[in-house]
Amino acid sequence: MKIRDAARVIRSKNAGPTQVSLDLMFDDPKLYERALKAPSLRPDVLAQRFGVPEAEVIPYPAAIAIKIVLPRRIIAGTPGDTDVYGAQQHRPLLDIEI
Amino acid sequence: MSNFARVIAAYEREPGPLRILSASGQLGYGVLAKAFQAGLERRPHLIGADMGSVDPGPYYLGAGRMATSRRVSKSDLRQLLMGAVGNGIPLVIGTAGTGGGDPHLAAVVEIVREIAREENMSFRLATIGAEIPKDVVKTAARAGKVRSIGPIPALTDEEVDGASRIVGQMGTEAFIRAIDQDVDVIIAGRACDTAIYTCLPARLGLPMAPAMQMAKIIECASLCCEPGGRDSMLGTLEGESFVLESMNPNRRATPLSVAAHGLYEQADPLSVIEPEGVLHLGDSKFEAVDERRCRVSGARWVPAKQFTVKIEGATRVGARAICVAGSVDPVFIAKADEIIPAVEAIVRELVPPDPAKPYQLFFRFYGLGVVGGQPVTTLPEEIGIIVECIGSDEDEARAVVASCKQYLLHHGFPGRISTAGNTAFPFTPPELTAGDAYRFSVYHIMDVDALEPLFPVSVETVGG
Repeated sequence: MKIRDAARVIRSKNAGPTQVSLDLMFDDPKLYERALKAPSLRPDVLAQRFGVPEAEVIPYPAAIAIKIVLPRRIIAGTPGDTDVYGAQQHRPLLDIEI
Repeated sequence: MSNFARVIAAYEREPGPLRILSASGQLGYGVLAKAFQAGLERRPHLIGADMGSVDPGPYYLGAGRMATSRRVSKSDLRQLLMGAVGNGIPLVIGTAGTGGGDPHLAAVVEIVREIAREENMSFRLATIGAEIPKDVVKTAARAGKVRSIGPIPALTDEEVDGASRIVGQMGTEAFIRAIDQDVDVIIAGRACDTAIYTCLPARLGLPMAPAMQMAKIIECASLCCEPGGRDSMLGTLEGESFVLESMNPNRRATPLSVAAHGLYEQADPLSVIEPEGVLHLGDSKFEAVDERRCRVSGARWVPAKQFTVKIEGATRVGARAICVAGSVDPVFIAKADEIIPAVEAIVRELVPPDPAKPYQLFFRFYGLGVVGGQPVTTLPEEIGIIVECIGSDEDEARAVVASCKQYLLHHGFPGRISTAGNTAFPFTPPELTAGDAYRFSVYHIMDVDALEPLFPVSVETVGG
């Protein structure tokens, strides 16, 4: 099953100008658990998929959600940036199989 | 007696629930009047609003400009001043003018004085500066007391000197000093969004954990609701817990929507680092009071052994000019990968870069994978084009994009069928100058021994 079919919200936004935070929010706790266990959402796999040196995956059971934190490839607003707010960095997540 | 002094005296005589109204999470983009008026009817002890952020990028901090228009900023400020001062309610505004530096603070205070004249109002105003002297930052960096946040290089003297200005995020402490100056309104430079709302509970000696968690949520107004929105939000502190309620009856603060808000724009949803301590949220409890109100409890506040201040700085990198175009020609779109370097080579020949400080040139062909994400496997029918140059000055940047415009339009390539022009321009002139370009050069945490000297409070009587 693809993440886009499992999660209700898949979004990205800067957490400060040097990091981007991706949130996966689920309606179904079972799908949340399934995503948490999926090898495709391991930090090293995600880092590789996004082309960054590291990734952090934080379970947030209070909202049945998973947070992924990535270093930005370019600091927000530095010449050459294409997404100052980091609000369109979620695309590579959508088709991940869990 | 000032509004702060009166509210504090009344609360100390008769303690109870403390009502705090978050008028807006982004002052200057329009305060929705209906919800704000509904909030006023709840007789809040404090009205607050945040006015800035690093989110819009380095330009505003560096250039000393506001991201919001003066017109809407002024109407928002008028609404808040009339609602607060007119009703005897203290008003706190944080991160004035987007960047929270001295020019931002001055611009907002000027608008506030103008409103006071126009409305014949008089009040005592405290302003709190947030620009950190460069010597202070350099001394701290040399002593190893400055750390990068995320992937930004360690701070050097050169980088500090190059910054247009450096601001620090003040915490609750600075606002309490302003409150104690017997004022009606506080307008602060760069500040923690939370401190706008924690200063009164902290001054009253109320528990810090629920106050801080409530502040963290209401600073975004009704964003924590289902559906989220920008309407004013009421937070009511009741001992060790607090209750959230949107002032728009169509927005519901549910346990799930409030819990989920903890994720928003945070690298760590379980702890929030403030200058004076850390808020731990791992054991938070969210309970429905009714369909549209939520009670929250369970946060823990651990005061810091070492004060820290987040510092932000922006450095000018040049002047920006852009050119906007589009294309529907399938051959041009298919050969974009070859055309871009060919045009770039011609332009670099026509407008030779200064070897000591070469301009930067970016061809953004929207539709072909600019924003990133997935590789584009099927070519689109239409693309949007932005050519951007960062030159040493406006003249150079404009010259470069004007040449790019001309050679994109007329570039000849094998197989070309649209031989009169490759691109469509939506307006004239197609090249636009966009002022100075900046980058964030400082985004660090600085250990400090004393917060007070960094954030000076000044008081004036406005109007009257």
